[in-house]
Amino acid sequence: MLLDFDRLGWWKWMLVSITALVTLFLLLPIIFIAALSFGSSQWLIFPPPGWTLRWYEDLFADPRWLQSAWVSAKVAGAVTILSVVLGLLASLSLTRGRFRGREALRALFITPMILPVVVLAVALYAFFLRIGLSGTFVGFVLAHLVLALPFSIISISNALEGFDKSIEDAAILCGASPWEARLRVTLPAISHGLFAAAVFSFLVSWDEVVVAIFMASPTLQTLPVKIWTTLRQDLTPVIAAASTLLVLLTVGLMLLSLLVRKALKR
Amino acid sequence: MTAPFLQIRNIRKQYGDVVAVRDVELDIAKGEFMTFLGPSGSGKSTTLYILAGLQEPTSGDILLEGRTLLDTPSHKRNIGMVFQRYTLFPHLSVGENVAFPLRVRRKPKAEIDATVSRALKLVRLEGFADRMPAKMSGGQQQRVALARALAYDPPVLLMDEPLSALDKKLREEIQFEIKRIHQETGVTILYVTHDQEEALRLSDRIAVFSQGEIDQVGTGTELYAEPRTRFVAEFIGDSDFLKGRVERAGDGRADIRLGNGFMVSAVPTHGDAGPGRDVALMLRPERISLFRAEKPRSLAATVRDVTFLGNNTHVQAETETREQVAIRLPFGHESAAGLQSGNAVWLGFDPSSARAFC
Repeated sequence: MLLDFDRLGWWKWMLVSITALVTLFLLLPIIFIAALSFGSSQWLIFPPPGWTLRWYEDLFADPRWLQSAWVSAKVAGAVTILSVVLGLLASLSLTRGRFRGREALRALFITPMILPVVVLAVALYAFFLRIGLSGTFVGFVLAHLVLALPFSIISISNALEGFDKSIEDAAILCGASPWEARLRVTLPAISHGLFAAAVFSFLVSWDEVVVAIFMASPTLQTLPVKIWTTLRQDLTPVIAAASTLLVLLTVGLMLLSLLVRKALKR
Repeated sequence: MTAPFLQIRNIRKQYGDVVAVRDVELDIAKGEFMTFLGPSGSGKSTTLYILAGLQEPTSGDILLEGRTLLDTPSHKRNIGMVFQRYTLFPHLSVGENVAFPLRVRRKPKAEIDATVSRALKLVRLEGFADRMPAKMSGGQQQRVALARALAYDPPVLLMDEPLSALDKKLREEIQFEIKRIHQETGVTILYVTHDQEEALRLSDRIAVFSQGEIDQVGTGTELYAEPRTRFVAEFIGDSDFLKGRVERAGDGRADIRLGNGFMVSAVPTHGDAGPGRDVALMLRPERISLFRAEKPRSLAATVRDVTFLGNNTHVQAETETREQVAIRLPFGHESAAGLQSGNAVWLGFDPSSARAFC
C-alpha cells in the first residue's frame, strides 16, 4: 500500500502526536468538568483544592434539577418513539416508493440537519407562539422531532436499502399479509437500523440546548436548559455535577448501543 | 376430458407502451414440471410474478382448477415460491424459517414440528434446524427455501431461476434434488430459467419465451427435433444457419437454393414459404457429415478451426459463400483424424434433417 502506516518513518510519529493532541483537545473540557464536579472549592478552581461529593448531594436534593432531568427524559422518550415510527414510515416510502418528487422529499427531510439550529429555533418559536404551542410539552416534542427525524430517516433508510425486498415477498407468498410480513420479517431484519435511529433520536433531544431554550418556559425546562439558566445566575459546581451526569448518561447510551448493534448484526 | 389444472389465459402485462408479456396462453397439467425458458427480458419471470400475485396483469386471467386466482391476494393464494435471490429470513433459524408459513396459518405446535422435520428431510437437511441462514452455503439456503415453500403443501410451486447464483457443479447437484423432490411430492412446478440445459434436464414440457410471447411449447425432444421458429432452433441446442432462397414450395416443404447455387430439395418449412422468399436453412451440427474427398450433393467448405473436446470434436468450417458452419464429429470419426485448419472438406446432410425458417 502507498500509505502503509508502518512504513511512514518519522511521519508516523507526527501523525500519532497530532491524533493524540486532537483527542486531548476534544476530551479535556469534559475531563475538566468531571474533575471540577468533585472539587471542594465553590468557585470552579482548577486544580481543585480538595475532593467532595457535596455538589452531587446538592444536585439530588434540589427538586428543580430532578424535575428538569425528568422533563428531558420525557421529551427525549417521546421524541424517540415518534421519530422511529415516523422515520420508518418515511423511509419505507423513500426507499420503496416510486413517485415523482421522491428525491426532493428526501432532501426536504434532511434539511434540519443542514439548517443553522438557531434559525430553526427562531422559526419554530414564532410559529408555535402563533398556534399556542410555545412552552408546552407537545411543542417541545415537536420541535425536537424536527431535529431528530433526519437522523432516524438516514439510519432506517440505510438499513432498508441493505434489505432485499424479495425476502418480504417471500414472507407474503408464505401466507403473511403485507403488514404482517413487514412486522415479522422486515422489522427484525432492519432492527439494527431502528435501534440506531432510536439512540440518535434520544441523544439529539437529550442534550439539545438551542431549540430547547426557545421552547422552554419557567415551569418546563430540560436539563441542558436548566444548566444554561443556572450558569447565567451563579457559577456553582452543581452545574459541573449535572453536566457530568449528562455526559455519563450519553456515553453509557453510546456504549450500550454499540453492544446491542453488535448483537443484532451478529 | 376435465379442465386443465392451471390455465394461463391471454395474460398481458404492459408498462406504458412497453409490452412485457404479450397475450400468453398456456395450460398446465396437475403434477407437471413446466419450464419457462427464454433470455432475460422475454417475459418469463413477469409471467411467474403475475402467477404469484406480486404483479398485476394488464389483462387476461389465471385459473386454478377452473377458478380465477386474480381476485385472491398473494398471501392467500397458497402458492409456493423459491426466488432467484436468497430470501431466507435472516433473523430466524432454518427450522423457524420453514415453520414460518405454518405459524402464519396458526397450525398447532405438534403439527408444525412434524412438518418442519419432514420438509427438512425432504431437502436432505435434517439436523440443520437450529442453524442460522448466514452460516449456510448458497446451495443449502436455496434448499431451505424449497423446504419452506413446500411446507404448506401448495398446489403449485413457482421457481424463479433458483440456481442462477450457484456454480455449475452445485447447480447440477441441486437440479437432481429438485427432480427427485418433484417425483416424491408430485407438486406442480413452474420453473423459470435462461439455461437450456437446466430446462432440458428438469422439465416435462418447456415453454420457450421470446419478446413477451411463447414461441413454442413442447417436450425437450419436440423442441429440439421440430423447432417452429428460428428463435427456438437457436435457443435449444446448437444450430447452423445458411442463407437460401425458395425455388419451389408446397405441402410444408420447399426446394431451396443456397448462395453458391447448391440445391437442397424437400426441406420442411416453417412460416410463409412462397417461391422467391429468402429463408434461413437450419442444420444441427451433429447431423452434418464431413468428407475429406469431394462427394456429389455436398457443400464445399474450408476448415477454419478444430477443437478436440473428448467425446466430440468441434469443427468450424467456412463455405464458399463465407458462411460459418459448425460440425460436431464423435470421437474416433474417420474424418477427424489429422484434420486441421485450411483443409478442404465437403459437407453432406439429409434434407429432411434440415429446417427452413422464413
